[in-house]
Amino acid sequence: MTSAQNQIAARLEGDFAAGQLSADGLRAALEALLQDTARRQDLLYLHATSTAPSASVVAMTLVEGGAIVAPPDDPDDWPYQSALDAINDGWRVISFPNMALLALSADDPHGLGFEFILEKWS
Amino acid sequence: MAGVLKMGAARSDAAPKTHDCPATLTDTEVLDFCKNGYLLLEGVVPDEVNRLSVDYCDQDDYYEPTSILAEDWFHQHVICNPAVASSVRSLLGPHFHLPVLMSNHRVAAPFDATGWHVDGNYQFGPELNYLQVFYDPQDTPGAMGPTQVVPGSHLVKNKARFMGHLTGIRGAIPTIAPAGSIFITAYQIWHRRGQATGKGMRNLLKYFYWRTQPSARDWIVEEDFDFATVNYGSPIASVVEQFRADIKVAEMFLWLCGRHDDFQNLGGQSWPLPAHRNGAPYGLPTGL
Repeated sequence: MTSAQNQIAARLEGDFAAGQLSADGLRAALEALLQDTARRQDLLYLHATSTAPSASVVAMTLVEGGAIVAPPDDPDDWPYQSALDAINDGWRVISFPNMALLALSADDPHGLGFEFILEKWS
Repeated sequence: MAGVLKMGAARSDAAPKTHDCPATLTDTEVLDFCKNGYLLLEGVVPDEVNRLSVDYCDQDDYYEPTSILAEDWFHQHVICNPAVASSVRSLLGPHFHLPVLMSNHRVAAPFDATGWHVDGNYQFGPELNYLQVFYDPQDTPGAMGPTQVVPGSHLVKNKARFMGHLTGIRGAIPTIAPAGSIFITAYQIWHRRGQATGKGMRNLLKYFYWRTQPSARDWIVEEDFDFATVNYGSPIASVVEQFRADIKVAEMFLWLCGRHDDFQNLGGQSWPLPAHRNGAPYGLPTGL
């Protein structure tokens, strides 16, 4: 499920657990879920410490459901700790780290380096 | 606080544009600045001055309230604040040039985070000829969107427009601080405004000091400071080639010592790489 769908589900679960789930509330949630079915490309930028798909992630950005989703503040809570983790969760790599960075001076580090861009359709 | 009571006194145009005072940072503290690219001084401005500053910004809500620099209370307790000025003196040398422009990142919370960026007209390199300084006149907890910085990122080249897609960066820290806190930064450090979930007005005053004299090791010299064995490691190490951060930090520190001409990196396991050696590291510049 997308983040938006998860939020709707969590709201339903909360109402159900509290004994407050009404027929109107259920219908409104179902309508919201159905309206969220337009398929979009989700993007995941993962910056790793090397070109290895298993390398640790040092930065990330998630674009999901047509919006940028802020990641958890604590990097240990990020959804993926490597590109391989994301691949195993169904993400497809559409861009590998740019080897043009090799042409730059070894004395001058540039940017976060090893950027994997992955996609999913949701 | 006697100076604060002279409210309304204004500095004349003929007032000195430079300032000098004792340098109070130690070798280790200057080296830490080279490693991290910033220095946070918590709660150094008196509460009364913080209140005056907030009141001033409520009256002058222009994004460049430069006229606040002419207020004697602001000059004494913020611009020439002893804790700040002595740190600036340590990093920029004697008779450093005082700010001539004041910016205020004044935003009503709640608000979203901005994108990561380096400020314009940056110059990456070992030189430290100016400092960008931020002053929080009000408490700035996490809910009020404190500025976030990536420690050590002043050593890693980037362009603001190539950073537009970044959101989460491991190691980034929010400069959460009580009212009256000031943080001093290397201009090219990567930073952004954090997200604010609270309510209220957040001011963040930003200004600049410049070097006027050649760099020299004229801060507090530690007798047991050893250029050969000290750790030059930086928190940015995980995103650069192995030991590259150590080399960058050592070069910046030697530049600040006025010894940049002596800096050398002979490659391999030579100085300034960290190691458990049985003698002086190969490549250690003579005279250090």
